[in-house]
Formats: sequence, structure tokens, C-alpha cells
Amino acid sequence: MRRVFLGLLFFAVLAWVAYQWSRVSVPRVPQSISADSIAAGMKTVRLFFVATGADSLLVEARELPQPQNLHATAAALVAELDRGPREGGIAALPAGTSVLNVYSDARGLLVVDLSRAFLQGFRGGSTAEYMAVASLVRTLGANMPEVQRVQIVCGGAPLVTLGGHVPLDRPLEIAEWVDERTF
Amino acid sequence: MKGRRRLRLLIALAACALALLPGAALRAQTPPALALNPSLDYTDTRDVSGVPSITAVELGRLLGATRFWRADLRKLELRLAAHRLVLTVDNPFVLVDDATLLLPAPVVLKGGEMLVPAALVEAMADAPGWPRLVHDPRRGVVLVVPPGGVVGTPQFRHGEGVTRVTFPADREGGVSIAGRARSRFRLRFDGVFTGNLPDSLPGTSLVRGVRAIPAVQGCAFEMTVAPEAEGFRVVRERAGQVTIEFRRQRVAGDEGFAPAGPAGPRAISLVVIDPGHGGVDVGAHAEGLQEKALTLELARLLRDELAARMRVRVLLTRDDDRTLSAEQRAEFANRVRADLMLSLHFDAFEGTRAVGATAYCPPATAPAGEPGGAVPDANWTMRPWRDVPFTHAVQSRALAEALLSALELRGQGPTRLRETLPYPLVGVDAPGVMVECATLTSGADRARITRSDGLRIIASTLADGIEAYQRNE
Repeated sequence: MRRVFLGLLFFAVLAWVAYQWSRVSVPRVPQSISADSIAAGMKTVRLFFVATGADSLLVEARELPQPQNLHATAAALVAELDRGPREGGIAALPAGTSVLNVYSDARGLLVVDLSRAFLQGFRGGSTAEYMAVASLVRTLGANMPEVQRVQIVCGGAPLVTLGGHVPLDRPLEIAEWVDERTF
Repeated sequence: MKGRRRLRLLIALAACALALLPGAALRAQTPPALALNPSLDYTDTRDVSGVPSITAVELGRLLGATRFWRADLRKLELRLAAHRLVLTVDNPFVLVDDATLLLPAPVVLKGGEMLVPAALVEAMADAPGWPRLVHDPRRGVVLVVPPGGVVGTPQFRHGEGVTRVTFPADREGGVSIAGRARSRFRLRFDGVFTGNLPDSLPGTSLVRGVRAIPAVQGCAFEMTVAPEAEGFRVVRERAGQVTIEFRRQRVAGDEGFAPAGPAGPRAISLVVIDPGHGGVDVGAHAEGLQEKALTLELARLLRDELAARMRVRVLLTRDDDRTLSAEQRAEFANRVRADLMLSLHFDAFEGTRAVGATAYCPPATAPAGEPGGAVPDANWTMRPWRDVPFTHAVQSRALAEALLSALELRGQGPTRLRETLPYPLVGVDAPGVMVECATLTSGADRARITRSDGLRIIASTLADGIEAYQRNE
């Protein structure tokens, strides 16, 4: 009986030493390093969400794999906006909004074709509408320096307004949505 | 003979009317007296040999304490839970819990009433466990400090191209700008004002004058800002004080003043009120409240209010529950040649702490768009339908300022202004504002709207704003 007990104790000590050795010998690789070296480069993007008082926008920095083209950039930014904030605040875009297509011209106009969820998922009044547009326009403007104006369309069709308060029939000048007078 | 007598009578009546007119006009211009908010708990002070005093009974009431009179010792003890305050007749020493305070004059018995120097409330300001009282010598009252705290005498400091006005305020977060016009720059504090204001200010100051104005909640001030001032900002750098900086040259982070239109009263003969949404478009909704129904009810109340107060014709874009496009609303306002258009809305934002009212007006900076211009061989110019509201941007901003100022001063805030063209004003050829009168997702706002006279108060407040806009305040 004593021999059995000593044998079990010996194997337990052996297993614990082996476990500790394995932890020391295989150091953890930071996730960002592996992602950066294996796939594409990482890029810090600035996302705009709504403050809890709904009277201003909050900016949140986030690491994203470097998109390969214009469509991928806009799609990734909108996807991150749809995921919502991690550091406080509230998502402004209607849930489920995604990018269907993106077009641009040489004069800094970006046409973003959003999924129908942008229109169908909208709830609220003018502040919700205003913040949804501001969040989208400022996020695109902050991360795509070549863009000066944003035209929002929805499901491939022109969109006159989202909830009846903010006109979307014309391209939105990013500079006007950054102006402090509008917040 | 009869004709002459009638003529004399008419002349006499006209003379009487002319004699009364200036007085009536003067009465209309006289600002309302600065009164204490009726929700405050206060008592008037009495003069006892030059010392402002209050009765011990009133002191006990304000403190919420129970009184015990010891006739043999001529002492009155006020008890509040475990705390006690002992006053002795003809004695300037007062016992507050374990501390002894010395008053500038003794407690006296006069006409059967015990009178206590008002200085006591200042002396026991830091006494723990007692409600905080404050003595306002300007109004001659002692009052219970409200949750918004106290606002004290402002200090004016003048530097190179900058004037700083610093208000001691218990709650430095409880300040809002209620009017951005230079001629009537208005500030509202949550707290009660117990300080003094200067009679005059030096010529180098960018603030030419300041006066207290009535406000339903807290207190409010109106300043006259010099025309050369370009920007201002609210600074809360130290606890217990709020500073407003006025600058001759605007720097980054400063806010601008409302653009000034021509002086003098504005001619308004036709007001169009646009109840937002309607028909299949319910608008925002929360807790059983529907925006389309609220806007219609409010529009009807505002129509009655304006008709009773002003000599104006008031038309509604819809007087029932019907669907209207933005183009139909704008076309209506343009067809009747509106002098101003007010689009009424109620806001909502689920999951936030959003509260209060917001006004939207077209920005004074016209956006890049298709240019209009003169039509050859015609005496009229063509403007793009969409850009017409921008031609009224300055007046629209003034209307928004007047409305928000009225809402803020009547406790319907907090208010904010967004200078961006709202969709209901697209194509409207008149000064116009879209007002979100309250936020339906806010419990406080819902309670304000759903009380029996809630919408009537908002209608009355908006009418105040429109009247102020007409007077060009």
C-alpha cells in the first residue's frame, strides 16, 4: 500500500515538473505580432461612436488588418461600427448595416451603398438619425484621407432621408460634419 | 351743433388714448421683477437694530428641526435627529452640536418672537448633518440651498483681447448657454444666485453690461457683449467655479456668437406651423407616446397661443392625421408666403441618457451645390429649390436662438443647437427652424410632457420665443 502511494506521488511530481517545463519552454507569441507577420500589416483606425448623453461622438482606436482596396476598407470600417464600441459609448449605425458596394471618383466623392438594414433597422428621432450619419461620415473621413464627400445610397437605390430629419439626397461634406457647430 | 360736440368728444378720446399709449408701451418694456423661484424654501429677513435677522420659528422650519423651549433658562433648542442647536436670549453665543459660534449680535426677544441674526446660517455653513442655508442680503431672504447649489458674485478680469467672467458655483457642471447673441448673451445656472452684479464695467471689457433675468429653474444672466468679440468658451478648470472667456479673436475651441440681423422689430404676419410626421409616418415613439400625435396637439395649442398674443395669421401644414411629404410641406409654406416656419418634432434615442430639446437651422455657410443665378431677359432670379433655406440662414439662426433661450429659461432644457439643414425645411423660402421639443425616451421629459398642462407649457414657451424673435431681442 505504501509503495503504491509513493509511486503515485512520484508520478504526480513528475507530471507537475513536465507541465512547468512545457510552459517555460514555449513562450506565448503576442497575437498582433503573429498577425502582422503572417498575414497583412495591422492598421490603427479611428471609429466614431455616440456618447451616452447622445450629444457628442466618442472616438475609439482599433487595430485592423490592412485592407487591400477601397471596398475592403469601407466594408471593414462599417463592420467595426456595427460591432459597436469596446470602450464606452453606443453604436450609432442601425444593427446589421453592411457595405454592399463602394464607388469613388477623382474629386474625393465616395458613394457608399449600404445594406437595407441601414434603413429598415433605424429607430428613433432626429438625434439617432443625425448621430448615425455623423458616425458613418466621420469614420470614413478619418480613415480614408482621399475622401472629401460621402454619398449614402441604400440597397442600390438613392436614399432621400433615413428617418425624415437629415437630408441624404446630396453628398455630405465631411468638413461640415467635423465642424463643432454641429455638435 | 351735435356734430361739433361729437367731434370734440372724439378729439378728447384720441388725446386720452395718446396720453395712455406711452405708459402702456413703457409697461410692456419693463422687465419682470427678479423674483425667487416659488419652488425654493425661504423666509424674509427683518431688520433688528441694523442686523438682518429671522425668527427662530422660521429657522426651525427651514432646518426641518423640532423646537424645545426652556422658559426658565430662556433657551430654545432645535433638534434634528442626533444634532442640536441651542439659542439663548440676549446671548450672541450659539451652540451647534459640539461647536460654539459667536454671532455679530445677540439673539433677542421682540414682540414675543425670538429673532436670530441671519449671520448664523453663514457661520454654520460647514456644520455636518444640518441642511445648508444661505443668506441673500440683496433679496433680504434666508433660503434652503437647492440641489443645484449656490451661484455667487461674478468676478470680471480683463486682459489683452480677452475678458474672463468667473462665477463661484457649487455645481460647475450646472451651467448652460441660453442665448448666443452678442446683444443678449444668456447664461443659465442650476443654482440660486445670492451674489451681486456690478453697476458698470470698464470700457476695455468685452462685456459691456450684465443683469440677472428671470429663470424658472436656477438663475440666469444676460450680458451685453462688445461687437468686436468673436468667440467665447465655458471653462470649468477649477472645482466650485465656472469661467466664461470672451475673446476679441476667436481661437480653436471657441464658440461663435449668433449672427446679428438688422435691428428693430421684425414684420411677421403669417406663421406656418408644421406638425412633424403624420399618417403612416408615426415618427418616434416610446412608452405609448407617438410623435405624430404629440406634434399635432402641440401645433394646435401653439396656434391658439400665437393667435391670442400676436396679430399674426397662423396656418398648420396639417390639421389632422395625414401623410405629407417634405415637398408638400415646403410647397404649402411657400404658397401662403410664410414669414416663418416652425417644424415641430419630438426626439428619441433608445439606450442613451439623451434628454432635452434640440433646434436645427440651416447653416449660414451655403453648401457647395448647383449655383442659381439671374435668368436672361427676366427680372427674377432662379435658385435651386433645395438651397433656398440657406438664404434665410441668419434669421433662422436668430429664431432658433430665441426659441432655445425661451425653452432654457422655462426649464425645458437642456437645449442644444445644430446648424445643419433639417429635411423638413428643404425648399422652404422663409426663416425656419425644426425643434425637437423634448426627448420621448427620457423619463424626465416624458413626465414633463404627459402632465396635464405639459404640452400647453411647451406651446406657451415656444410662443415666448417667437415673440422674442419678432421683437428682435
